[in-house]
Amino acid sequence: MERDNRMDDKLDELRDTPGPEEGQDPAGGRAKRDGSASRDLYLNVRVLVGMMAVFVLLFTFVARVIVVSGPSMESTLWERDLIFVWALGYEPRQGDIVVLTQEHYQEDSIIKRVIATGGQRVDIDYNTGTVYVDGQALQEDYINEPMRLPGWGEGVNHVEVPEGCIFVMGDNRNHSADSRHPDIGIVDTRCVIGRGLAVLFPFSHWQGL
Amino acid sequence: MKNSVSGRTSWLISVGAAALAAALLRRWQLASAFEPDTGLATPGAQASVILMCLLVMAGAWLILLAMGRAGGPDPARRWDMVFVTRGDPVFPALAVGAAVLAALAVPVLFVVGVDQFQLYQMAREAGVQPPSNNGMLTLATAAGALLAALGLLQMGRDGLRPGRRGKGGFSAALPGAAGCVWLMESFRAHAANPVQWDYAPQLIAIVVGMGFYMDFAGMSAGAPRPRRLLWMAGMTVILSAPPLATVLAELSARTAAGSSLLAAETGDALLLLSQLLAAAGVLWRLPPYLERLDRSGPDRSGGLEEASIEEETTDE
Repeated sequence: MERDNRMDDKLDELRDTPGPEEGQDPAGGRAKRDGSASRDLYLNVRVLVGMMAVFVLLFTFVARVIVVSGPSMESTLWERDLIFVWALGYEPRQGDIVVLTQEHYQEDSIIKRVIATGGQRVDIDYNTGTVYVDGQALQEDYINEPMRLPGWGEGVNHVEVPEGCIFVMGDNRNHSADSRHPDIGIVDTRCVIGRGLAVLFPFSHWQGL
Repeated sequence: MKNSVSGRTSWLISVGAAALAAALLRRWQLASAFEPDTGLATPGAQASVILMCLLVMAGAWLILLAMGRAGGPDPARRWDMVFVTRGDPVFPALAVGAAVLAALAVPVLFVVGVDQFQLYQMAREAGVQPPSNNGMLTLATAAGALLAALGLLQMGRDGLRPGRRGKGGFSAALPGAAGCVWLMESFRAHAANPVQWDYAPQLIAIVVGMGFYMDFAGMSAGAPRPRRLLWMAGMTVILSAPPLATVLAELSARTAAGSSLLAAETGDALLLLSQLLAAAGVLWRLPPYLERLDRSGPDRSGGLEEASIEEETTDE
């Protein structure tokens, strides 16, 4: 019982403590300022935390920014270019530049151009440096230099692309490990992270893709 | 006390059942919804669809439960006193337990980060392509886990020793802010992974956990949102369950393979468990308080007297 009384006294003391919303005396004014500063700090932290959460969720589900590593897409994309990649609801189409991952080849993602999609046939003639899709020679103004036979041999060069898959190649054909490489081959569209839409940085490289 | 049990019980049972079901569904999904050779997700897999439906329905159900409670955003009420828990050791015990788990994650993440940094440096010195991860974000996550542990410890202490108004649970903002680094590290670790089911549940669990901690901190910082805090706490528990099942499965695979448990997955498991315990503490404490508000009306003392005396007498 005595303990209850002691606790009641403490509770009354707590309840009677002037709060930031009520205090009018100097001590109450200080409490009000403290409370206001604490609230402002809290609101600022909350905004920052919220922004971080929104950014990461956008990067995960909608779009992301990646840095190009390697020369395989020169001269369309250069080492350290910063590119904007759209992921939400994307279905690969012929000619698009895509970011994809083939974990059995390397853990990091790679960036290539879609040459053919499911149901199309790809034939590569290394003698003339020509790529045929469904028997039609592709007009490839974007490649860096005439295509030569890769170091690993002909690899995958006469193939019908299964449904749900794509055939990809780098624009720098002679320095690109892509669908021609036996370790990469035809790529499942579920391995595609998104489509490169634009080079954001450096500004001198800015362009739509 | 009897009346206050019903609100708490409905929350704890709903959330606990949903979390358990989500964890079991995640185990089923891991066993059935991915192609064994490539690890790619099978479109329309039953386990994935059911898991998604469960999470959406659980979110909707908790909204209904939260809307049924009193407690609008009244800044003049002493919301910071909700978590004063003399006579009720459960909340501080859970908060301290959460702090211990976060603290345990610190050495694990630190060792992993140092290993990653050394590997990166060795690759650079050898002139070969260095790994994309230089370990810095893992080390930052270790520092964040330490910050979270201190904040959670203070939350438990505040629960035992009521202070002046506004002092209360602002420390909860520390694990919320630390979650930003953990979130970045979790995203970075899976940035090249095309299978979103592998990592998106964990990212969402971290985001909801951050929201929970920030709303908790708001209770004593003049920006109370008690009903949303309840929802956030419930969803933190439920959404932490699937990624927890994932990392535990990965850790058991590591154990079976004889690999060391000093891995990023161990850090993730500890941090997920930590936020789960902290959220469970809020679910233990807040519903009875809001139920008392339903009964007692606009008493701006924060229901402190009733709450504390009631629980003190049960203690004696």
